[in-house]
Amino acid sequence: MEFAWTPAQVEYRQKIQGFLDREIPSDWFETYARGIGSPEQINFSRTFCPKLAANDLLLPQWPKAYGGQDREPWDQFILSEEMYAWAEPRGPQYMGVNWIGYALMKFGTLEQKHEHLNRIAGGQVIWCQGFSEPNAGTDLAALQTSAVRTETGYRINGSKVWTSYAHMADWCFLLARMGPERKNISVFLVPMNTPGVSVKPIPGLCEDGHMNEVFLSDVDLPEAALLGEEGKGWEIITFALGYERVGAPRYHFGRIALDRAVAQLKTEGRFSDPVVRAAAGRIVAKLEAGRLLNYAVVDLRVKDRPPGVVGNVQRVTTAEGILDLMDFLVEYLPDALAGGDRYLTFSYRSQVSGTIAAGTYELQLDMIAQRGLGLPRGH
Amino acid sequence: MDLDLTEDQAALVAAVQRLVDDHGEIPKESRRGSHFYSQALDRALTQNGFTHVMLESGLTALDAALVVEQVSRSPVVIEIGASALVAPHVADALVPRPIVLARGDLMKPQRFLPVAKSMLVEHAGDLKLLPVAPGEVEEISSVYGYPMGRFKAAPDLSASISLGASRIQPFRQWWRLSIAAEAAGMMQAAVEFTVDYVKQRRLFGTTVGNFQAVQHRLAHAYRIGQALHMLVVKAAWSGDAFDANQAASFAQQHIPKLTFDLHQFNGAMGVSNEHLLHFWTYRLKALQSEMGGANAAALDTADQLWGPAEPALV
Repeated sequence: MEFAWTPAQVEYRQKIQGFLDREIPSDWFETYARGIGSPEQINFSRTFCPKLAANDLLLPQWPKAYGGQDREPWDQFILSEEMYAWAEPRGPQYMGVNWIGYALMKFGTLEQKHEHLNRIAGGQVIWCQGFSEPNAGTDLAALQTSAVRTETGYRINGSKVWTSYAHMADWCFLLARMGPERKNISVFLVPMNTPGVSVKPIPGLCEDGHMNEVFLSDVDLPEAALLGEEGKGWEIITFALGYERVGAPRYHFGRIALDRAVAQLKTEGRFSDPVVRAAAGRIVAKLEAGRLLNYAVVDLRVKDRPPGVVGNVQRVTTAEGILDLMDFLVEYLPDALAGGDRYLTFSYRSQVSGTIAAGTYELQLDMIAQRGLGLPRGH
Repeated sequence: MDLDLTEDQAALVAAVQRLVDDHGEIPKESRRGSHFYSQALDRALTQNGFTHVMLESGLTALDAALVVEQVSRSPVVIEIGASALVAPHVADALVPRPIVLARGDLMKPQRFLPVAKSMLVEHAGDLKLLPVAPGEVEEISSVYGYPMGRFKAAPDLSASISLGASRIQPFRQWWRLSIAAEAAGMMQAAVEFTVDYVKQRRLFGTTVGNFQAVQHRLAHAYRIGQALHMLVVKAAWSGDAFDANQAASFAQQHIPKLTFDLHQFNGAMGVSNEHLLHFWTYRLKALQSEMGGANAAALDTADQLWGPAEPALV
């Protein structure tokens, strides 16, 4: 058992840190606090990601044949850790880089690879994820958006909801149903400017611009929009989302916010109170547990082993630390959330979806119970 | 980074597990108490060098932590954390065991005192090694799953050996890690025991484990044990006081809810002496407050990360 980083990993981390020190502007956290999906954040990522790409720092884990460096998942994770230490300045690029690209590499035609992979590798394109629907979120297989064959391709009708970045996305990775069974779900690559596609922002707790509805009304797509074969949608997303297993180091968000809160409490002369100090210290243990469990997730991926439930354990544990942190802010630094600190306010707003998006907190517990403890599907 | 046990570490854990399996049974007549100190397991572990594992050539604190965690999975109790993890970091010679760890008021009830041969005690700015004789101690009945006792009269500290003030910091650090390693083993074993039970016990026409309300809380208990294991092995590997504080803090924060939930799921059976659950949970309860509990570890964390407390502004 070994927790040390190799010299090459240390060097790689230093390279990333050096790049970030040079490229992140001093007012970045103010930009970040404008909100996920805000024009300010997305416009920043549109200029930042091509610079990352130019420095071989956008997709270290991709195969060299597609513009990557064939680096192992630890390097991808180190990159993520450093990005999260700056509250993820890559913005929406993570989807293309982390999993849509892999889906295209495995299931895409030559034309699709040619059209999309270079642009993802250059950090020049924004994708959104057309999965959730009004009655199909956690139970994704219940999606109702339909795809019907036409003489020239497919006609799509339906709607998607809670779609991050849709209002500014170039493409949508869309799931649609061609029959009643799960095996009838297919994936379509949809330009967001296709006639019949419309986007309506949903005002929400996470700041405006984060969530959207996407309406698909008689959207005609060519045959070339289908990814893989008809009915292979579930297989494709299962494969692609497996690449998300490297995981998001959300504990970094927690530490940034906690350090900022402590600095504010010190300024106000209130961090000498042992009750407050202990409350802050207790959160650190939970965030550190999240960090180590994230390492365990990556370790399995490096060794190409089944993920088991470590990823689920990690998500619940990190969430516990983040939730405690948000309560800490409310209890000991309430003014920060009432105009006092835009960054902490945004952190508070954005965490609301952290235990819902990408598999709810309860779904993680279901997975642990069923796959980790061997309990039956519960009621 | 490689989070697999080495072959040697896996073999070490397996060897300890075999001894625990061979000597981990609690005789039926001994189930009425709050604990069962197994002299047989103690002897077997000592004879095989596991109680002083860090004195073996090439073995490290990580190996010692793995031993402590593994031994603590047993429903029987022996003193292992102080011997395997704490004493090697604060004493230059072998400390007679079982060993009691203590701070402050020496007349307070202490874990293992009725069976102890030594006490490592932080007292008046020094770390001292104090011999303990059976006649000096009275056993106390308690709700905790350890042999608990106290001195009949204030011990004669002139008979102790000074280990020096410089040993206080490592004493606190490795004591905290010992607490966490013991708790990790107990939590994992108690969860496994409870999962077995809820898979069999039927209620309203189905098994208890079929209810999502039970599953989610058990999933939490499981993930707490897994998370704690990671914190323990990291802190043992690094030898860093900050890491030890996180391990102890995490363990002690989660003991109340975890023990409550496991007792709920074992129902009335968990209240009976026929059931084994309390042999883990009542030990966990003793660990909850040791070394000042989660808040003390958290305050030390705050000092480490953000500096000592400053006087409040007026």
